[in-house]
Amino acid sequence: MSVSAISPTRSPAIRWRTHIDRALVLLLILALWQAGSLWVGTYWLSSPWATTTRFVELVLNGELIRHSGYTLAEAGAGTLIGGFPAVLLPFLLRRHPIIVAILDPFMVGGYGAPKLAFAPLFLLWFGIGMESKIALTASVVFFIVYFATLAGVRALDPRLVQMAQIAGASERQIARHIVMPSAVPNIFAGFRIAVPYAIGAAVIAELISSNRGLGYLVQTGAMNFDTTSVFAAIVAATLLVHAANALMNAFEALLMRWRPPLQSMMET
Amino acid sequence: MAATLLEVRALGKRFAQRQDRDKGREPAPWVIKDLSFSVRDGEFLTIVGPSGAGKSTLLNIIAQIDIASAGEIVFDGATVSTRDPRALRPGIDRRIGYVTQDDNLLPWRSTLDNVLFALEVQGRLDAQARARAEMLIRTVGLAGFERYYPHELSGGMRKRTALIRTLVYDPPMILMDEPFAAVDAQTRTQLQADLLTLWELGRKTIIFVTHDITEAIALGDRALVLSKQPSRIAAEHVIPIPRPRNVKDIFALPGFAAIHERIRADVQ
Repeated sequence: MSVSAISPTRSPAIRWRTHIDRALVLLLILALWQAGSLWVGTYWLSSPWATTTRFVELVLNGELIRHSGYTLAEAGAGTLIGGFPAVLLPFLLRRHPIIVAILDPFMVGGYGAPKLAFAPLFLLWFGIGMESKIALTASVVFFIVYFATLAGVRALDPRLVQMAQIAGASERQIARHIVMPSAVPNIFAGFRIAVPYAIGAAVIAELISSNRGLGYLVQTGAMNFDTTSVFAAIVAATLLVHAANALMNAFEALLMRWRPPLQSMMET
Repeated sequence: MAATLLEVRALGKRFAQRQDRDKGREPAPWVIKDLSFSVRDGEFLTIVGPSGAGKSTLLNIIAQIDIASAGEIVFDGATVSTRDPRALRPGIDRRIGYVTQDDNLLPWRSTLDNVLFALEVQGRLDAQARARAEMLIRTVGLAGFERYYPHELSGGMRKRTALIRTLVYDPPMILMDEPFAAVDAQTRTQLQADLLTLWELGRKTIIFVTHDITEAIALGDRALVLSKQPSRIAAEHVIPIPRPRNVKDIFALPGFAAIHERIRADVQ
């Protein structure tokens, strides 16, 4: 899994230790970056310090916030538009395994196809504005979430369904009280993978052609041989991914209190 | 003498033959064959048999979550369809409860919400039902754990939750498939005592399957012994120990040793 909910929760001592180690890794990355920029020259590779100053500058003059806002809006809209049918479809097809089987090779194709290669087509169809970015993002999110949800619906424990049937539950009640909750962890896992991809897809679509967004910032920076701005925009995109991930974590913790805290036990 | 509630006549079960190239068209072996018995209204019947004697399969067929291959079942005066998988009616209109070997609690529901599940889907969740649920929770010592999720409960507590989840909606007959097999000896004795306390409250008809002869004697009015595969009724014993019984001291009661010895001789 590309991005996860890894958070050490066992004891305050371990938590602090992890924070310190993370800071050390960050420092190492910054040091390597600094060394690299000294080695090849700031014309080719901007320094961390210059990037930081530019970042602050762009935040203060509102540029970075504005462009981040566009990228975030595109990624968010694409996640909703792609994610909603992706969650719904496996539930609707739960009682129709033959349709799922017929669709399968096409879904696998859609999942595996290099969707970024479709970006020029989407630009042609939906124009240079946000719509084309939303379309690309939605197509990326849809397939990831579809397969995750499908796995969740299939992972259903038939004994829980039998228990509910014996208790007198109708098909609709079983879907709502048994199938849906048991698929929630998988749906979440799907979105957890899909959301960073969504932000990445929005940025790349902007790179190809746009007049706003973080990808646009990267593109104009590169055209002006301004690697500092390129890095500032990349840092902003990375922070967006982190913020989205933190939001997912909070949401997940709220929705899945019923799960045993197995993950954190294994991690620390 | 009370009326017969359930009658099983010449029941047979064979599972579908696996597609095995070497074996050709050899018919599947009978798991259960020519099995007949009946249960009176309000009777506590125990069924003892070695592992793999088809005990769970028998209960699954009675609960209508599995089909039979031969024979018929009469429940409450009406013949029940047992052969057609599409005609199965799990728990026949909420009149047959089933406490399975695994507790099958819904992991996303708290103790209280698991107990209330059947009432909720049956649309019977009124103040009276809630009061009954609370009474049962207190009776089995789960007071204070109403808001806990299953993963936060001990094995014995989960068994108690599973037990009262079925008792709370008051089905006239309850099937129990080794419900206490997976807990330690002391907890098991306590659970057996709890079960008898609860049974004295309502005197349901119970079919309790176990491989433990002592348990069969401690709980039952009558014990049936199953043979090895293909399963039939090998012997029948009326338990001569008067009620109320003290499960903890069951060994010391007059008549225990003799009936234990007789049943043990019949269990192959």
